[in-house]
Amino acid sequence: MPTPITMPKFGQMTEESTIVEWRKKEGDKVAKGDVLFTVETDKSVMDVEAFTEGILLKIVVPAGVAVPVQTVVGYIGQPGEPVPVTEVPKFGKPVPSVASTVSPPVVPTTARAVPQPAPVAAEVQPLQPVTVPHAPVAAPVFRISPRAEALARECAIDPTKITGTGPNGRILERDVRAYLDARGYHNLRITPAALELARKQKVDVLEVRGTGAGGRITVADIQRALAERPKPMSKMRQVIAQRLTQSFTTQPHFYVTVSVDMTELIAFREGLKAAGAPFTVTDFIAQAVVLTLQEFPVVNSSTDGKNVRWHSHVNLGIAVSVEGGLVVPVIHMAEELTFLDLCMRAKQLVEKARAGKLTPEEMSGGTFTITNMGMLNVESFHPIINTGEGAILAVASTLKQPAVRNDQIVIRSLMKMTLAADHRLIDGALAANFINAIKAKLEDIELWKRLTSW
Amino acid sequence: MLAKASPVYLSDLRPDFRPFEINCGTIPAYRYSGSLAKELEAGTITPSEAVALFEDMLIVRELEEMIVKLRSGGYEPLPGYDYRGPTHVSAGQEATAVGACSALSIRDNITSTHRGHGESLAKGTTAIRAMTLEQLKQRVPNCTATTREELVEAALEEHLYRTICELFGKEDGYCKGRGGSMHIADFTVGHLGANAIVGGGVPIATGAAMAIRYLRQDSVVCCFAGDGAFANGVVLESLNWACQAQFTNELAGEHKFGLPIIYLIVNNQYGMTHRTRNEVMGVDYLARRGAGFANNNMHAEVVNGMDVLAVRDAVRRAARLCREGAGPVLLDVHTYRYWGHSLSDPRIEYRTKEEEAAWKAVDPIETFKKQLLECGVLDRAGIEAIELRVRERNKRAALRAAAAADPDPKDVIKYMYTHTKCEVVPPEFRNPKLVGPPPVAKRTDGQITYRDAIREAIVEEMIRDARVILYGEDVAEYGGAFKLTKGLLEAFGRDRVFNTPISEACICGTAVGAAMKGLRPVVELMYMDFALMASDQIGNQAAKWHYMSGAQIEVPLVIRASVGAGKGYGGQHSQTLESIFCHIPGLYVVYPSTPYDAKGLMKAAIRDNNPVLYVESQALYGLKGFVPEGEYLVPLGVADVKREGKDLTFVAWGPAVHDCLKAAERLQSERGVSAEVIDIRCLVPLDVDTIVRSVQKTGRCIVASQAVHIGSYTAEIASTIQELAFDYLDAPVKRVGAKNGIAPQSHVLEAAFLPCVDDLLNAAYEIL
Ligand SMILES: Cc1ncc(C[n+]2csc(CCOP(=O)(O)OP(=O)(O)O)c2C)c(N)n1
Ligand SMILES: [Mg+2]
Repeated sequence: MPTPITMPKFGQMTEESTIVEWRKKEGDKVAKGDVLFTVETDKSVMDVEAFTEGILLKIVVPAGVAVPVQTVVGYIGQPGEPVPVTEVPKFGKPVPSVASTVSPPVVPTTARAVPQPAPVAAEVQPLQPVTVPHAPVAAPVFRISPRAEALARECAIDPTKITGTGPNGRILERDVRAYLDARGYHNLRITPAALELARKQKVDVLEVRGTGAGGRITVADIQRALAERPKPMSKMRQVIAQRLTQSFTTQPHFYVTVSVDMTELIAFREGLKAAGAPFTVTDFIAQAVVLTLQEFPVVNSSTDGKNVRWHSHVNLGIAVSVEGGLVVPVIHMAEELTFLDLCMRAKQLVEKARAGKLTPEEMSGGTFTITNMGMLNVESFHPIINTGEGAILAVASTLKQPAVRNDQIVIRSLMKMTLAADHRLIDGALAANFINAIKAKLEDIELWKRLTSW
Repeated sequence: MLAKASPVYLSDLRPDFRPFEINCGTIPAYRYSGSLAKELEAGTITPSEAVALFEDMLIVRELEEMIVKLRSGGYEPLPGYDYRGPTHVSAGQEATAVGACSALSIRDNITSTHRGHGESLAKGTTAIRAMTLEQLKQRVPNCTATTREELVEAALEEHLYRTICELFGKEDGYCKGRGGSMHIADFTVGHLGANAIVGGGVPIATGAAMAIRYLRQDSVVCCFAGDGAFANGVVLESLNWACQAQFTNELAGEHKFGLPIIYLIVNNQYGMTHRTRNEVMGVDYLARRGAGFANNNMHAEVVNGMDVLAVRDAVRRAARLCREGAGPVLLDVHTYRYWGHSLSDPRIEYRTKEEEAAWKAVDPIETFKKQLLECGVLDRAGIEAIELRVRERNKRAALRAAAAADPDPKDVIKYMYTHTKCEVVPPEFRNPKLVGPPPVAKRTDGQITYRDAIREAIVEEMIRDARVILYGEDVAEYGGAFKLTKGLLEAFGRDRVFNTPISEACICGTAVGAAMKGLRPVVELMYMDFALMASDQIGNQAAKWHYMSGAQIEVPLVIRASVGAGKGYGGQHSQTLESIFCHIPGLYVVYPSTPYDAKGLMKAAIRDNNPVLYVESQALYGLKGFVPEGEYLVPLGVADVKREGKDLTFVAWGPAVHDCLKAAERLQSERGVSAEVIDIRCLVPLDVDTIVRSVQKTGRCIVASQAVHIGSYTAEIASTIQELAFDYLDAPVKRVGAKNGIAPQSHVLEAAFLPCVDDLLNAAYEIL
């Protein structure tokens, strides 16, 4: 039996991947560890190696086709072995379910078939040579007769807006005609070239405003409509959209903001910098957060609404904006690192993120995230918790501001931090204590002196 | 053409139960006592005729051995040539094929079998040797030779070339590579075709003999068929058919003439592998069968088929009998097949090496060679020269054939149908004399019934063309089960209108043979259900011969089949089966619904040169309608819009057309829906254009017939519509037909079984 090669699941968020390139051809010899193909996941490009040796008997999924993870993409076996016939799952097929840290694992396609209970013998019926299929009980589908569809196509209108009066709500020719009348289609003025283009590009001319003489729809109008037409977002944006929507709609957010006096820390850091130390302001914040999370384990936790899971490690995510979106590399077991190590690790991950070289593991498993817009001149902002985490800390710009010290108005470098917390886990007082604990650390120069003396 | 004698015959048979004995007489076996020496002395053969027999047998042996060698890659001139066809070789049987054909003239006909290379070659070689200089030049027009000897030689080589081309599936083959080994035919020398259906060619031969008899021609048919074939129903039916008393007794009037046909049993002792004698037969000698069909035992004889002179003698005498009108003759010619049924048969499972050796000891070629040497007709050198010539000729022909052009794949269905029809009747067949006044339909307001319309068409065509004859069960005095042919016997005589045995296969099969010989038979099957009895003759013979012969022959015939639905006659007399025949390319299938169409289509069908299955409805026989007197045709393949409409199209044929018209009326009056009704009239060829145009207009279509749902031709039409007019459909195409069941006798059940107007309306409501 040939061994199937399946599309690996890289990291828990991956649902669908695309083979960028097969490195072996059908018929090639394959040794264990040879690179079979490279894959583009939601976030990165990876090499996939062979687990078995033999001949690459068949490539089922060619390069360029997105398929769900666990899909059989090819077979390795001995020369001449028959290869089972497999169908390539189509791109865009509904993905099993939205995978997240709490969703159950996707059942691999090789799972054994569950035996079906034998049908209960009904009254003995003569065998019917041809059975009439039962009307399938399915979700409402868009039904339109070929004739109606052809008419809609001819008129360059969108038939999905029409109500069908045929059997099962099928749109018939008469429905299209009634709709055209109701929408005043026959008063519409459009140039032949524009109509032609609209037909070809499937632009609904009823939705286009004509700017030609007397309101006539021209080619330019159709082109404008085409330009406005929704286009699919990048893979990354789709992941962002999905994850943030999930977080924002399932994790009830609330916010607490404090103002941190960074004057001394900045001066301290300038001194270190002059001495050649690499620490950035973010590093200080990160280190303060790591320390504080150890004091507040409730904040370093996650919930599905029923159970709470305290994480024994601090896996600190740092949001990094990249071309076209945002990624969150994770510093795993940050509590085990020295401040310098933490700083070096952060630097390394940020560079990898900017270069698009993060591995799925480096982007998953976070327990808390910091998002820093300090360099973007914002006074404060309200972040969205990274799905599955308990809270996120938003760091705004450090601005020179009048402050009251010893009843004197003085100029200080103040920085606002906002904690967005999942109210299911964290209440207001805890959030306040937590963020103030961070603030206290950032304003405690003695602490930093200790942490940077080696 | 003269037809006389009053045809009507009233039987006056009295009971007579006095005891007596039937004397079957005796059947001679191996009565030929001659030899080459005796025949030479008696002047019944010339030395050159004897040499020709020898060479012709060698020609057969060489070709058969070539096939054997090709299969094993051992034919030296064509190493590695991939011969893909059958390997039903006849080595051992040469004396039978050559002896028989040498006793026939070029005008005589043969039919042959799946093991027919010998007969096909021999019919050609003997015909070529008998050709005039003119005929030879026509046969090999590119040959520049002038002497008879050279022309014969060129024609023989061409004959081999075209034969081998056919076996190799080449365009230059006799059948343009369409027929191949088992369907080879050369109509120019009277070879009406080999047949891969065991026994399938026998009724065709019988029909050819009927045509010869009818046309008063001086030729005979020699029908070769194996001993195995003589267990087949249609073969025995053919013997019975050929021996009908009406061909020779007073019913035949002045033309008392037995069918001029020799049934020659190529008795090689085996079916495929079964022994006929001692295993699957109850008689020792098939010749005995003759006693079952004719008082004269069909002049049956058992003949030594290993002796070319014995076969020649028997066939000569048989042919003489036939030419005298004393046919038919049955010859049981005993021979032996050296190889197995095909080369995949090793023979060891069912016969001994000793048996084979014993037969090879009387090898027809060796024994005849010996006589030639003994009589001094040829010396060793002469024999060797002939052997070499045969081998070399075969080699040259095979080399040419292997290199010859294949048919063009784009011509794969070319020759499926002929596009000719009988526009002009040849002078000799025009306006034949009638024996009585033809029946005239009574018109009221220009109207006659559907039944009368069909009869009127047949009458007009029989008056127009003497080649049109009509036969079937009880069609003569009685006028047919439905009285449709009433009066035709009285008008045209028994020569052209006659009763047949109850043998649907022979009714259709003889029509094929008669059509091949130039007649235009119209035959009646009474109930369409009985067409299944004749399915081989309709589906494998009538439908296929134009194509399989590479368009050498046309088969103009009309098979009338009457549908009995709605009369409470039950499952075997009520079927609407035309869909089955639409699935067989090569046939035309028509089914009129009105008297006007019935007449026009019948006339067109009779004049068409394709075989036409003409379906009639008993339910419509009494329907009256306007039918012009005299000449008009309804072309085949043209649908008729019986009612115009714009909202819905009914496509139907036969009685369903009338139901659709009624449904359309009701849709109009009850719903204001305007329905169009298209009567396709012809299922094959189908007028797709008219249907598609209508559906493009209306967007809705219901296809209706009385056929049961499963596999109905309605499905073919529905699928054609969705293929060609998909974008015009506003609803799925619906089909209405009988239930998927068997026609019941009960009136209540049959009403539920057949489609009705309400079914059509319900279908319409579903899609409106
Ligand atoms: C109707 C039909 N049934 C069966 C066959 C298969 N078949 C081909 S040849 C053959 C044996 C025929 O025996 P016979 O008629 O004695 O001819 P022979 O092969 O001996 O020349 C059979 C059964 C066939 N071709 N046609
Ligand atoms: Mg036999």
